[in-house]
Amino acid sequence: MKKFFKTYLPFTGNEIKRNLAYKGAFYLFVFCSLFGSFISYYLWKAIYGSTDGGAIGGLTQNQMVIYVFMTYVTSSIVKVSISEEVSEDVVKGTVAMNLIKPIDYRFSLIFKGIGSSVYRFLMPGIFVWIGVELYSCLVLHEPFTGIVNLVLYLCSAMFSFFIYVLFDFCFGMIAFFTTYIFGLQMVKSAVLSFLTGELIPLSFFPAVFQKVFDFLPFSSMVYTPVMIYLGKYSGSELMFVLARQVIWIVILYALGSLIWKKVTKRLVVLGG
Amino acid sequence: MFVFCLIKKGDSMIQVKNITKEFVSAKKYPGLKGAIKGLFSREKVRKTAVDDISFDIAEGEIVGYIGSNGAGKSTTIKMMTGILRPTKGQCIVNGIDPSKNRLDNAQNIGVVFGQRTQLWWDLPLSESFTILKEIYNVSDEEYEERMNFLNEVLGLPDFFDQSVRTLSLGQRMRADLGAALLHNPKVLYLDEPTIGLDLVVKDKIRQAIKDINQKYKTTVILTTHDIGDIEELCNRIIIIDEGRKIYDGGLQELKDTYGKTRKVTMELRQVKEAEKINWTEKLGTTEDKYQVTTDEEKNQLTITFEKNEIQISDIIATIMEVTEVKDIQIQETELAEIVKEIYNHQFQSEEIAE
Ligand SMILES: Nc1ncnc2c1ncn2[C@@H]1O[C@H](COP(=O)(O)OP(=O)(O)OP(=O)(O)O)[C@@H](O)[C@H]1O
Ligand SMILES: [Mg+2]
Repeated sequence: MKKFFKTYLPFTGNEIKRNLAYKGAFYLFVFCSLFGSFISYYLWKAIYGSTDGGAIGGLTQNQMVIYVFMTYVTSSIVKVSISEEVSEDVVKGTVAMNLIKPIDYRFSLIFKGIGSSVYRFLMPGIFVWIGVELYSCLVLHEPFTGIVNLVLYLCSAMFSFFIYVLFDFCFGMIAFFTTYIFGLQMVKSAVLSFLTGELIPLSFFPAVFQKVFDFLPFSSMVYTPVMIYLGKYSGSELMFVLARQVIWIVILYALGSLIWKKVTKRLVVLGG
Repeated sequence: MFVFCLIKKGDSMIQVKNITKEFVSAKKYPGLKGAIKGLFSREKVRKTAVDDISFDIAEGEIVGYIGSNGAGKSTTIKMMTGILRPTKGQCIVNGIDPSKNRLDNAQNIGVVFGQRTQLWWDLPLSESFTILKEIYNVSDEEYEERMNFLNEVLGLPDFFDQSVRTLSLGQRMRADLGAALLHNPKVLYLDEPTIGLDLVVKDKIRQAIKDINQKYKTTVILTTHDIGDIEELCNRIIIIDEGRKIYDGGLQELKDTYGKTRKVTMELRQVKEAEKINWTEKLGTTEDKYQVTTDEEKNQLTITFEKNEIQISDIIATIMEVTEVKDIQIQETELAEIVKEIYNHQFQSEEIAE
């Protein structure tokens, strides 16, 4: 176990360093995505303003503010995309350079992903988070989020990270069969922003859709931790959503192993 | 018992048995119409890149693996390193089958693909070495010792703190070789390690390979298009052509067997006199065994001849009958010539097969 971490932790450290080396591009990315959150903040404000001030989809206006920005924080630390790297490795044949080393390709990607996630948590995740908390306390006069919810949120967000990364690994594997997944990437990001509840909280959808979402891994990626943060689950329901996350981790891990096994059998390394 | 020990000692590090790799790809048609047609057709193109190759390599050998472009060298290396799975056949490296047990095999091997890098592109070179140290589980003392050695033979400190993407090709190649050797692998695979390097760096790389081989008894397999690499480093070469092995043996043997011709260049007092000589009659041979050219300006006469048919003393004696010889130069066929001819299919295939 110790050796395992000793082998893979450098990937995390190096990814943080690499992110630091590309600070400029990163700030631009942060700015653009935060900008999107502000747009949806004003949009929701207008929507709530035009109603009589009650809750919509189970969320009050104040909770909606927290939802929008906590979704930003959560998705920035959870949605660390590795499929681009997988497909690039395949198309350019650089996957060979991973295969000559005594490491598991998927673990090296996961640990790299952790590096990115940690970096994004520190920059700007935690600041946005603190901002949201201060705003909700000082301006909206809501109580601080309790320590239990905070810990449960972090735990659930960590599960979300693994679900997303393991899913994205499987997705990236498509590159082995098509050697070109750029178009699919676009589709994925559009579909995911819907299904994870980033765009609209999933509770806004009709009940039938919500039933379907329950059987997909996407609601476990962003929606679950944010709803936990808002204290929307308790008791057995809370246990259930957390257990569901764990189950998705197991399923996606197994699926990834299966695909990887298939892929290495017919792997074609291009070039040379 | 003694004999048994001898055999044991010479046990091979690498055993390749009837290894074959067939690539199957969808057939492509030209043009837009072709692209659409390609979407619906299930036609496959088969290409046998490596065709039933077998060889054994003993510990500590440096083997040159050569062949023309597209002969299947890189494909073979990829199979031996565990990146590609053979379609047929098997290879065993240090007792491990790379296609079945990639992780264990990876611990034993070092690989340099001249056209690629295994280093972390965006980070300083030093970081790549630290991460490799952890990946291969190299202890601190070993790391220290190895780095001292590598710094000496490869001159890494000059650019150790630079980020990898800023390195020149030669520096990167030296760094990559260093990275492949950090964990003291038993086998080192080099796929065109001297591609695009200047003469000085080439020399450095060659010297480093030699030193490593001597110091650590590392087995080296090297593909290259530079005959200099072969002459400097290898005592054994394997030549493949269109996926098939066509020669496997010593370097000197190859020269002896296929370097059948010799070239003698003489500077004469009067070339015109020599031009009148009827060589076939004088040497008692047939027309196809020799070839004569003259250069009247330089007063030079050049004869290329088959050395087991014609004696050089006969040639000189014949010339001396008509004119005076001022200078004489004798050349064996160069390895480059031999290899070129083999690539050009100039030899009959049964002639080459051992
Ligand atoms: N993925 C692939 N799909 C189809 N054919 C391939 C594939 N990879 C290699 N080939 C073919 O297999 C043959 C051998 O390729 P390989 O890369 O082993 O050659 P090589 O001996 O390394 O040549 P070079 O000296 O040019 O590097 C070539 O004819 C090549 O076109
Ligand atoms: Mg090649």
